[in-house]
Amino acid sequence: MRLRQAAIVSVVVAAVLGTAACSGGSPESTDSAGGGVTELTFWSWVPGVDKAVDLWNSENPDIQVNLEATPAGSSGTYAKIYAALKSGNGAPDLSQVEYQELPGFILENGLVDLGPLGMDDVKDTFSDWQISQSTFNDTIYAVPQASGPMGLYYRADIFDSLGIATPTTWDEYAAAAQTIHDANPSQYINTFPPQNSAWFAALAWQAGANWFGLDGDTWTVDIDSAETLKVAEYWDGLREAGLIATIPDFANEWYSELQNGNIVAWPSAQWGGEIIAGNAPDTAGNWRVAPMPQWDATGDFASANWGGSTTAVLNGTPNAEAAAEFAIWLNSDPESINLLVEGGYGWPAAKDALASTALNQPDDFLGGQNANQEVFAESDAAVDVDWGWIPTTAATYTVLNDGFSAAIAGNGTFVDAVKAAQSATIKALEDKGLKARAGQ
Amino acid sequence: MTSTRTRTRLAVFGFLGPFLALFLATIVFPLGYALFQSVTATARSGAFGEGGGTTVFVGLRNYAAALSDPGFVSSLGRVLLFAVVQVPLMIVLATALALMLDAASARGVKLFRSAYFLPYGVPGVIASLLWGFLYTPGISPVIDLGKVFGLQLDFLGAETVLWSIANIVIWQYAGYNMLVIVAQLKSIDRDLFEAAAIDGASSWQVITRIKLPLIAPAIVLTTVFTIIGTLQLFAEPLVLKPLSSAITSSYTPNMAAYNQAFTNNNYSLAAAESVLLALVACAFSFGFLKLIGRRQNA
Repeated sequence: MRLRQAAIVSVVVAAVLGTAACSGGSPESTDSAGGGVTELTFWSWVPGVDKAVDLWNSENPDIQVNLEATPAGSSGTYAKIYAALKSGNGAPDLSQVEYQELPGFILENGLVDLGPLGMDDVKDTFSDWQISQSTFNDTIYAVPQASGPMGLYYRADIFDSLGIATPTTWDEYAAAAQTIHDANPSQYINTFPPQNSAWFAALAWQAGANWFGLDGDTWTVDIDSAETLKVAEYWDGLREAGLIATIPDFANEWYSELQNGNIVAWPSAQWGGEIIAGNAPDTAGNWRVAPMPQWDATGDFASANWGGSTTAVLNGTPNAEAAAEFAIWLNSDPESINLLVEGGYGWPAAKDALASTALNQPDDFLGGQNANQEVFAESDAAVDVDWGWIPTTAATYTVLNDGFSAAIAGNGTFVDAVKAAQSATIKALEDKGLKARAGQ
Repeated sequence: MTSTRTRTRLAVFGFLGPFLALFLATIVFPLGYALFQSVTATARSGAFGEGGGTTVFVGLRNYAAALSDPGFVSSLGRVLLFAVVQVPLMIVLATALALMLDAASARGVKLFRSAYFLPYGVPGVIASLLWGFLYTPGISPVIDLGKVFGLQLDFLGAETVLWSIANIVIWQYAGYNMLVIVAQLKSIDRDLFEAAAIDGASSWQVITRIKLPLIAPAIVLTTVFTIIGTLQLFAEPLVLKPLSSAITSSYTPNMAAYNQAFTNNNYSLAAAESVLLALVACAFSFGFLKLIGRRQNA
């Protein structure tokens, strides 16, 4: 009975949405159907967001949010939104959008200017650099949600049993890789994920690279800089010495290797802990987090950011105002942040979240370590905030992924992949009808 | 007189109408649109295209871009290599299975026919996921079993993954192709077999002199289907991609076009790549038919 009702409701909702889309998205169509209730469709893949949406819906009977759980953006959701924007219907009112994808959506005129819809008034409550990552041409296009300050996850039990001190530099990290693999040939310190260039970009970011910039209306591309090549050479060295695994991350084989202790560390982001906990639950208590290994032992502590995303309102929605209101609440309300932190969504973009939310507490999975306070707060402060993205970041990642995969298959090196990405990125920008040049 | 002819004409269009409408809407129009897109590009001004994008005619520039992309060109080479191995293997296997089921001494024909055909009912994505588990080290019982016998099996490596994909495709479609051939075998007049038996023909002679010549049309048909299908390889490598570092985003031409359209948002280049793939598939299918035709005429 319940099921049938749900089915009828969903058919009606679909019909209503269809009508709304057909009528060119005039505001009356949704209002008349909902009897004063504004309905918003929200696409997201963030763990825990369902609970935050439930909380909003119970507190705001006038603005009801229908959460649709989608695959991660680059696994198809962005493609779906781009297609919907192009065809003029079918796009949700709001969506999860990662920082690196924002310029791409702006290029397709897909995002609503949120400044006049409330963001101008509250932008000071969000982390400055994440606001600047959401701002293009002095226009705020998204509500910052979370970032991914990096740290080194490692199996303290295995490091201890081998007498390895926590590596503080990348040289020490390479030495640790050697010790681990020598002690047990099926064990590796970590995997170099050939299909996840965002991870490599974060490591280049930490080394001081700055891949993308904007000079007037010309995009600048500096992927093959000395800093990036240094990182590529480092991992080439470990790969050629056979000291790292080269299996894809976020895949069954990797989960299985984490579970059975064949992969013992992961330079990752603050949200990485939940990934390990969820996929290798039996290793609970054995993991710890250390600050990122450094390139320069004597210089200022340098960290980086991996991942992170926003809530953006998509062009074509008849309810931009309500959508903006929800997006701001979702990412700034302490109760909502608590629910999202519980799900492991990342490092809150709202300022002072460490002091005021569930972020500041020991984690049983990390053997009682309060990594957020001990490691990630400092890491967050040490992120080079000048890093930016381009409208064709996805194309750059694709070329890097293909180059890394080729190197692992025996064709070329990671350095070759970086060099190929430099020229391919300029070409991708020009293919879009944009101006681009090499250099900073 | 005239009214009858008009009425006949009306009837013709009445019967053809539904087909023509669907054909135009789902085949001709999208094809025309893809051709149109493949010769256009978006021109923009400003860093974010604030000036608004305009669609401009660029001639064959997208085709040149596709053919100068080593990733796309090698993807074409890869599916051609795949086809060279896969098509004969598939056809020989399907024909052999069909002949065995049709043999007079065969037992349990219905059971085996269903069993061979069953994989076709499994959607390609599901099939690839299932096989993906059997290919993944640490999860696959096959790899564990290999270890027992001292074999280091790597199904997802650069040298092997293409043939692991071939295995999935054969598992899925051999039964289907077999069924097409079985249908033709069933239509052979049984009197021929009786006559052959009276003349003292062996079962092998019956196969080579009677069955194979008479099922040739079905074999040609399944060959053309297989050629087109292998060139359009898509779902299997896409599903295995997260498991294998050897599968790039442009591993097959269809994946390259998909990547251009839905990751890079470059519909024009995607259209050009699709058209190129269609041309190659046409060339090979018609080339094969022509080859067969010449043989039969000679």
